[in-house]
Amino acid sequence: MDISQIIQFTFSGLTLGSIYALMAVSLSIVYKVSRVISFAQGEFFVFGALTMITLTGIGVWAPLAFALSVLMAALLGSIIEQALIRPVLKTTLGTVITMTIAISLALRGLALLLWGRGSHTSATFSSGEPIRILDAALQIQVLWIVGVTGAALLLIWLFFEKTMLGIAIRASADNPVGASLVGISIRKVNLLAWSWGSGLGAVAGMVVAPLYFLQYGSGVLPMVNGFIAIAISGLKSIPAAVVAGFFLGFVEAYSIGFVSSQFSEVIVFTVLIVVLQIRSKAASGAGFDEKGM
Amino acid sequence: MKKAILFLFVTFFLILMVSPGVSQAAEKVVKIGGVYPLTGYLSWLGEYYKKAAVLQVDTINKAGGVNGYKLELVVYDDQSSPEEATRATLRLVSKDQVVAVTGTATAPITGAVSSVANKNKIPAVLSSGYDVKADKEPFLFNTAHPTFFAIGRPFMYLKKKNVKGAGLLMPIGSLGEIGITNSNRASQQFGIPIVGEERFDVKAPDVTAQLAKLRGANPGAIFSFTTGEPAALVAKNMAQLKFEVPLVVSHGNATPGFLKLASGLTTNVLVPTGKIMVPDSLSANDPCKALIVNFNKLHMERYGEPANYFSGLLADAVMLIAEGMRIAKSSTDPVKIRDGIEKIKNFPGLGGVYSMSASDHYGTKMEDMVLITIKGGKWVQVQ
Repeated sequence: MDISQIIQFTFSGLTLGSIYALMAVSLSIVYKVSRVISFAQGEFFVFGALTMITLTGIGVWAPLAFALSVLMAALLGSIIEQALIRPVLKTTLGTVITMTIAISLALRGLALLLWGRGSHTSATFSSGEPIRILDAALQIQVLWIVGVTGAALLLIWLFFEKTMLGIAIRASADNPVGASLVGISIRKVNLLAWSWGSGLGAVAGMVVAPLYFLQYGSGVLPMVNGFIAIAISGLKSIPAAVVAGFFLGFVEAYSIGFVSSQFSEVIVFTVLIVVLQIRSKAASGAGFDEKGM
Repeated sequence: MKKAILFLFVTFFLILMVSPGVSQAAEKVVKIGGVYPLTGYLSWLGEYYKKAAVLQVDTINKAGGVNGYKLELVVYDDQSSPEEATRATLRLVSKDQVVAVTGTATAPITGAVSSVANKNKIPAVLSSGYDVKADKEPFLFNTAHPTFFAIGRPFMYLKKKNVKGAGLLMPIGSLGEIGITNSNRASQQFGIPIVGEERFDVKAPDVTAQLAKLRGANPGAIFSFTTGEPAALVAKNMAQLKFEVPLVVSHGNATPGFLKLASGLTTNVLVPTGKIMVPDSLSANDPCKALIVNFNKLHMERYGEPANYFSGLLADAVMLIAEGMRIAKSSTDPVKIRDGIEKIKNFPGLGGVYSMSASDHYGTKMEDMVLITIKGGKWVQVQ
């Protein structure tokens, strides 16, 4: 085993981890506010990326296409929240989660109708050769993913810590009845969470898309891995979900590199089971902590 | 008034006289079935199959049919599912009374069609990656080249290029197992050792860790028996790592879709396929050339796109059924037609020169496949 191989395993871990971390952040937003894991998040990932590819394909300036895709995903998220989530919000949590699964399937079907079965490629955000250390290479796009994840974290922190609206949202998540008693509209808060969560899902899709070939069903794997990341983090905080996302990526890459590519998935899921076991013993009760993050 | 009625009566009678169905003895028609994945995840393939079958049946009919019979194609959609394929084949056999069946893809769907066809003693000439065991399924034939050819043919090429070792990067799952088994067999046959073996999840966004490990073993080529996006991702990651050895992918990649995905990449991607993909590169004395050029021309005229590997497979299936009928001197007895197909020898088709036997229901040879790569956004043959 030479040093370039070990560096490449690290780069691979960083690539996988950055994708899982960003996905975990976008999943966390909706969870943080409404305590619901949206299984449709992977579809916003796909919608964002494919909308951007379509827009740049017809000649729209890339930054504008980026902004438009985020807006469209946020709008789609809001419509879905209004039309489909709100009517079932007063029922059980199970019903709401089942509804998000139904939305996920419906959106996948819609994406198939809109973009067909074929795969799409997307241009990297900045041109240039990958970063090379000895024989190892890291795509520059991975740095974009890490940067966007960092920026998203910072914005979320600023919002929930420093703005009145953010504090109101936290309040409504912690104590919906109390929050509504002091005049915070739970409806508006949920709407906001969905539109932002969907928008951030689209951002994740657009930043990750240049790494691989995207088609209508590509949202499932990032969604599952993002979900595993927030499960490992114990649903405690968004930064913890990011750390868990990177941890997951590195575990995967190092188990491919140092153990066996045949059993890497088994190793990843074994780690998940062990972490969940330890967590369930160590921590009592789930939920985001009292602080904003 | 009476005159008018008489006039109408005579006119009606005259029309009856000139209409072909009534005036002449009814034209003899025999039905062959098509079970194609027209919807579902294999729908891209089903479309090529149907177009090729329709075109080939028309071509045979224009040339006078077979043994005085015109062919009629009856097509059902298997919806890319074995259950639907079983229903479709049963319908073809019992309701439509076809004398032979053409179709479909993937091992489970092909298995379903084969099971009905063998039970009802109807020859099924399919075009699939399914591994045909002629002794167990005597009514099943396959125009697709056996999987071993698709892996053996690149090994044959690498031997010529004096490559000393091959690395395997196979998908997790049954396709990967098939790839590894056949690669080991080809490795033995051509004396090129397998120097490294890795697996990957076809949905993974990065396989650079596996490639870095493989590079450590210094292979002269990488084999990845996978189709579509994962194959393109391996090529993309190899370019990223400047891992400049040829990448051999499965014969399912000779499609416009894969061409689009892999066109911008610098990796030398080799795809084993049929000669139909490179009609212009074939030598003038190639026994298949005239057929390929002609079929390609007809396909272009009718559908506005060139024929491809998959349309060639299906056109050959129709042609083999017709040839089986000729040899059997029967267009209506399915058992005789099966025996006829099994007797086909040195018969040029689009996918190669077919020589069937009781033990070989493919009929093609490894040399009937060619290797193609992408240059300037187009497929070109690798010599």
